[in-house]
Amino acid sequence: MAREEISTGNELCSMAAIDAGAMFFSGYPITPSSEVMHVASDLLPEVGGKFIQMEDEIGGICAALGASMTGVKSYTATSGPGISLKAEQIGLGFIAEIPLVIVNVMRGGPSTGLPTRVSQADIGQAQYPTHGDFASITLCAGSLTECYTQTVRAFNLAEKYMTPVFILLDETIGHMHGKAIIPDLAEVKASIVNRATFDGAPADYKPYDVPMNKPAVLNPMFKGYKYHITGLHHGHEGFPTEDAVQCEFNIERLVGKINTVAAENDGLDDLPDYEEYMLDDAEVCIIAYGSIGLGAYEAVNKLREQGIKAGMFRPILLWPSPAKRLVEIGAKFKDKIFITELNMGQYSKEIERVIKRNDFTTLLKANGRPIAPAEMVAKVKEMM
Amino acid sequence: MRNSLRFTGVGGQGVLLAGEIMAACKIKDGGNGLKTATYTSQVRGGPTVVDITLDDNEIRYPYANEGEIDFMLSVANVSYNQFKNGVKPGGTIVVDPNLVHPTDEDRKKWIIHEIPIITIAKEEVGNVITQSVVALAITNTMTNVLSKQSLIDTMLSKVPEKVHAANKLAYELGEKYANKAMGK
Repeated sequence: MAREEISTGNELCSMAAIDAGAMFFSGYPITPSSEVMHVASDLLPEVGGKFIQMEDEIGGICAALGASMTGVKSYTATSGPGISLKAEQIGLGFIAEIPLVIVNVMRGGPSTGLPTRVSQADIGQAQYPTHGDFASITLCAGSLTECYTQTVRAFNLAEKYMTPVFILLDETIGHMHGKAIIPDLAEVKASIVNRATFDGAPADYKPYDVPMNKPAVLNPMFKGYKYHITGLHHGHEGFPTEDAVQCEFNIERLVGKINTVAAENDGLDDLPDYEEYMLDDAEVCIIAYGSIGLGAYEAVNKLREQGIKAGMFRPILLWPSPAKRLVEIGAKFKDKIFITELNMGQYSKEIERVIKRNDFTTLLKANGRPIAPAEMVAKVKEMM
Repeated sequence: MRNSLRFTGVGGQGVLLAGEIMAACKIKDGGNGLKTATYTSQVRGGPTVVDITLDDNEIRYPYANEGEIDFMLSVANVSYNQFKNGVKPGGTIVVDPNLVHPTDEDRKKWIIHEIPIITIAKEEVGNVITQSVVALAITNTMTNVLSKQSLIDTMLSKVPEKVHAANKLAYELGEKYANKAMGK
């Protein structure tokens, strides 16, 4: 069973958060993400949740992290400039292993950039939003439906891997208004993942005493287990340490619990990490993600009408990237790979790293305007 | 069959809502509709463009393809000039003649109708906010893309009940002026 909604990406994102079990939102309004917050303020009180508009972006993430430490699924929403402001506390989320969903509806940057205009310029920022070593999980919604489904997935991944998870929308996807077919609520509820907890004696509670590549097991505060949560490197019980062996283990585990696990299991869960369209018999592969994938899909159709066998590869899990499939695509399409994105090549660099080649054709734009299918068609024709 | 429509104005005129109503109506009638808006970071007065794509089949790319727009309605000169070239040659453009001034060349390239949308809303309906519904009625009367009753129902579902009568009147007036402009 599925439901039909007529809505915008931002609204669907917040609806999904609440369906996924979120009971807390804190943040600060910023174009083009504010509607995520508006819907949170409408819906959370109805389900017994809490919504608070904080004094600034920093307060927005601090309160959400605090709420999550009490065991409540929490989220915040912003745009690139807000992520910059939240950077320090995002780092706390990584090292202390606090699940949190961070929605970034991307607009033109750097700095305050182009507030009302579309961009995909925060792809690199989502990979490394703050200082230090860690691994990011970043999902990118490429349709109204995915604004819903990938937000649910972001909550599940945050709980499973005990980490902040980014869900990227862009201005186009966030604000476009139309039909979304979304899963039935019962189906969503059946897919929910909750963080692991420790049920033993309080004296035996050692939240960070976990094997390599496993997430911490953090019990909610106020349940009778002592807690010490810090941004400093910490030992098994959460108290600061500078022990060289422990610090090395911590960092290897923080990176490995995501990157190594994804590489070994070909992803972080059972859901698709990418969409492929008409790739089987294609002679040229268009790689695009987010709202640019919407135009790429239509470009494939237009090219096929003109006798050019085009196909599309659209990553959904951007970080860690779907490396295994990218390598296969690199081998299959040789020099007939066309990458198009709304930045100066931030994800092209990742594809270059994974495929170990740089002979791609690219169509990059960073002026706040979308990329039309006709522009993609013209570029692909030059390649053929 | 794909219909590509564009509304242009300046921030605050209500063109966003008119686009949303059209897309929602098409979806409720079993098809697909998408609305996108492009606006500036100016609080008021910045050029705004709303693209509406309606299709019985799937639509992914949400913006109008430049040069393929069937119909455009404009209530601000700054946005008219900026966005008119998206309309295909021979396409229809409706402007409020008190605010938008097409050139002689424009009149050769497109079918241009002049309807004083804002004056109709202000003086005949008695509520300037209803201009978006006057525009909605003109658009549908000229393009015939949606069922009239379905569009009115969708519109009424999105406006407060106390202004239902005013908006119904705005729709009827928009339809009347559109028919008059087309010589019907």
